[in-house]
Amino acid sequence: MKNFELVEPATIDEAVALLDPDDAGVRAIAGGTALMLMMKARLFEPVRLVSLRRVNGALRGVRENAGGGLTVGAMTTLTELERSPKIAAALPVMSRALHTLSNVRIRNVATLGGHLAHGDPHMDLPPILLTLGARVRAVSRRGERWIDIADLFVGYYQVAVARDELITEIDVPAQPAGVHTWYAKFAALSADDWPSVGVAVWYRTDGERIAEARVAVSAATEMPLRLAGAERALVGNAPTPQTFAAAADVAAEAIEPVADIRGTAAYKREMVRVHTRRALAQALHTGRAAR
Amino acid sequence: MRSIGQSVPRLEGHAKVTGSVEYIHHLRLPGMLYGKIHRSALAHARIVSIDASAALALDGVHAVITIQDVLSLVPNPYYGPAFHDQPILAHGKVRHVGEPVAVALAVDPHIAEQAADLIHVEYEPLDAVFDEIEAARPDAPIIHDVLKPAGMFTDLKHLGGRSGTNVALDARVRRGDIAKGFAEADRIFEHTFRTGKVIHATFEPMVSLAEKQGDGITIHTASQSPSFVRAEVSRLLGWAENRVRVRTAFLGGGFGAKLYIKLEALVAVCALLTGKPVRIGLSMDEQFYTITKHGATVRIKTGVTDDGRMIAREVETYWNGGAYADIGPRVTQKSGFTAAGPYDIEHVALDNYAVYTNHPPAGALRGFGISQLVWAYERQADIIAREMGIDPLAFRRKNVLREGRPHATGTVVTDMEIDAVLDLLEKRMDWRRPFDRGTGVIRRGRGLAIGLKACISPTTSVATVLLYGDGSCALHCGTVDMGQASDTAMAQIVSEVLGIQTQSIRVVRPDTDVTPYDMATLGSRSTFHMGNAVRAAAEDVLAQVFHIAATSLDTEVSSLECVDAEVVSSRGARMTLREIMLARFAMQAGTIVGTGSFAPHYKKPDPATGQSPDVTPFWMLGGAGAEIEVDTETGRIEVTKLVNVADVGRALNPASVDRQLTGAAIMQVGFTLFEEMVFSDGQVVNASLADYKIPGFLDVPRDISAGYVEVPHRNGPYGAKGVGETGVFSPSPAIANALYDALGVIVHDLPLTPERVLRAIRQAENRPLGDE
Repeated sequence: MKNFELVEPATIDEAVALLDPDDAGVRAIAGGTALMLMMKARLFEPVRLVSLRRVNGALRGVRENAGGGLTVGAMTTLTELERSPKIAAALPVMSRALHTLSNVRIRNVATLGGHLAHGDPHMDLPPILLTLGARVRAVSRRGERWIDIADLFVGYYQVAVARDELITEIDVPAQPAGVHTWYAKFAALSADDWPSVGVAVWYRTDGERIAEARVAVSAATEMPLRLAGAERALVGNAPTPQTFAAAADVAAEAIEPVADIRGTAAYKREMVRVHTRRALAQALHTGRAAR
Repeated sequence: MRSIGQSVPRLEGHAKVTGSVEYIHHLRLPGMLYGKIHRSALAHARIVSIDASAALALDGVHAVITIQDVLSLVPNPYYGPAFHDQPILAHGKVRHVGEPVAVALAVDPHIAEQAADLIHVEYEPLDAVFDEIEAARPDAPIIHDVLKPAGMFTDLKHLGGRSGTNVALDARVRRGDIAKGFAEADRIFEHTFRTGKVIHATFEPMVSLAEKQGDGITIHTASQSPSFVRAEVSRLLGWAENRVRVRTAFLGGGFGAKLYIKLEALVAVCALLTGKPVRIGLSMDEQFYTITKHGATVRIKTGVTDDGRMIAREVETYWNGGAYADIGPRVTQKSGFTAAGPYDIEHVALDNYAVYTNHPPAGALRGFGISQLVWAYERQADIIAREMGIDPLAFRRKNVLREGRPHATGTVVTDMEIDAVLDLLEKRMDWRRPFDRGTGVIRRGRGLAIGLKACISPTTSVATVLLYGDGSCALHCGTVDMGQASDTAMAQIVSEVLGIQTQSIRVVRPDTDVTPYDMATLGSRSTFHMGNAVRAAAEDVLAQVFHIAATSLDTEVSSLECVDAEVVSSRGARMTLREIMLARFAMQAGTIVGTGSFAPHYKKPDPATGQSPDVTPFWMLGGAGAEIEVDTETGRIEVTKLVNVADVGRALNPASVDRQLTGAAIMQVGFTLFEEMVFSDGQVVNASLADYKIPGFLDVPRDISAGYVEVPHRNGPYGAKGVGETGVFSPSPAIANALYDALGVIVHDLPLTPERVLRAIRQAENRPLGDE
């Protein structure tokens, strides 16, 4: 490992001033659980790490926002999210997923901002946040902007956050009453492994039919993404095993699976089929009021 | 005081959890240099040139060592326990990805790492071969020009000078008339089973330091075999053994990874060449390129009579030894001769081939090759039983090798409680109870398996017990406590003899300047071999103590016994151990030294037939029973119950026995369900704990338990046998047999990843998963 500069700014303004739009060797570091692995593997050789350790008070915690949704500071640890009563009440799908996200040691230091900024397709929360319609606030010297979560992931380990931008918070809108949600995580190796396939589903019924649906997949594909075809296959139909199976087939056929040590493309396609169907069925048993 | 059979708490337990025990990993020496290894990126290539100029130009870099530097000190730089085939650094060519080519030495570990990256090596690539079957073919690329067996094992001598082959050793066993056996059989079953490569994944990676001291050298190393390291480094340097001191501390795991020479020869040479202390500590990913478990292909053919008796068995095993032999040839022969299993089979032919390939070297890993063989013969046992319409347990009872019967090697089996192990397995598994296999997506199954190992022989252990002036006691023994609780077990033996509390006995860490010879801490041999040596050493002290007490108390030695650190005569006269020391040395001074050694009797097998009347000091027998749930849509197996049963002779410390059996079983569950090194052109694709997953607490079966059978072994210390490996023998086939019970599908290869299982299920349903 080469020498590098470690800076610990006290404010967000100082932090973004230390980032560099032109130097890939300058990066913000939060929990460091992903970045340190990349540094150890020498996939990333930093010139400067901008630690957000001291900024963290301003970027930490879960609060209700004006729209009735929740705003989560980017430096909130995954353990804090897992234990947050606000998250548990409004977004139970997220609380549940956090229980099996990696392990408790990782969750104690990893942050939501880092989890999203890393762009690793094997993360658990991106597909869930995709279905919840979240957005992230990115700040730079140039100002701030909101990025819709659907626009955040642009490729394999690639996100739409510029080198001089910092994710500061994540907004999750208020969810409609009675919405059905589920996240199916399928780990092919050890129990605390990254998923081989992750599928998040979200749908709202109106009377006997599904009125609105969102299906997102991760780990099987080069980036987390919504599956519009599967969503269309749900809307207007009754939430029956037949509907779910049909939508799952559409989901499986829609993706371009990426083979890795956690499964061949054919297997991942099959697992997307199975877990989309199972997630849709499981979600039917959920749906208490969001507020 | 009775210490034997008590679950005495671990001597080092408190110090370990409070962080005050020594690990070599933490050792820093004044003025030392950090070494970082530059490793080969190719699997098989000739080295054209090595350019270290950029590395040397880096500030803080002290030297870059290549084989040319090594040769100035060590003219013949090849080492290894079975073959002298592994150079201290690559010599002319590289034989696997990750092979050490050069070492950058710097004042700081990060500078050393950066310098190692800057070393430029030009290669001329050679054809490589990775599969053990392909490598054994006559037209395969040849990895070693000539075979170079070490002198240590006389039975390998005939291989010396052999060339044009990657087969380092062929070992055979012949009993009866195999052709006749198959001719008489009513049914013949033939299968091929495979296991992939896995690693030890010790949490303390390999680490060694060396410092020159006067005309000698001290090597501090996380090693399971300090005595071997001393002998081998002395041989390489051409020095007497007493100039090389090898010391170790507690190990953060070993499992066979830290045996023989790993980094020790390299750090010694670096320290001697630079005149400075040198430390080389591996990162987790480097361990994947240092030593692995053998992958194996096992072809097994069995002839059975209509009444379910196995009468003929032929097993041909190809062991993927990787680029250097390490202890592979021993695995091949010493485990290979058990390939027919714990069964009484009249006609047996076993062929074992240790094969060089361009993978990282394979060596010992908890079980020493046994689990690869049990995987094959116990998987096949259930297939045979089902085809013959016999209950799997009944099939085993019909065929097992019982007391007084000859094993395939000709050695008559004694002190092995096979029926008791089966009975306990039956009870713990509630085998007669009707079992609900389910009808939905989740199906259930149960299976069992038994495995046999012959403890490796011949090996020697020596121990010293010292009684100090105040009556306190120390044990010098070379057994390395790497987490198996050997210190506690050895202290319990001293305690039993001398009547001193186990916790008050000081166990001195292995240090070849202090502790006497021990072959190594491996193969479940320590309790039996070192245990006997320790007992003899303690009894030697006791004899001296009794002699002094008898004189002082004016009584006969035969009237004395030692209880609670006091010698008591039959007339009630008492002397504490301190009083005995005062009586002997007239003040609080002096030392009473007791020594003991142990080497079992042994008869070398006939090379042509593998026959020997005395092939092992003790047989190890382990069984496992598993209940599983399998998700038929994903192929994922959940082990809901796992029972591990062993014949332990005598449990010196029942809690330790329980943890050894259970810990081994959990390790094997990882090897069974998901652990596998994935290679691409010799490169390990998943060389990190991020991608090579080992079992965590959530992977431990919901209901896991250990059970053991105690019938004292005639030659064991207090009847004890080794138990460190027994728990790995049987879980893999037990789990796969449960899968077979649930769905009737056969998976020939380990691990049973969900994808592999789903593919087998879909194949059986005649709607195979595609090859996309």
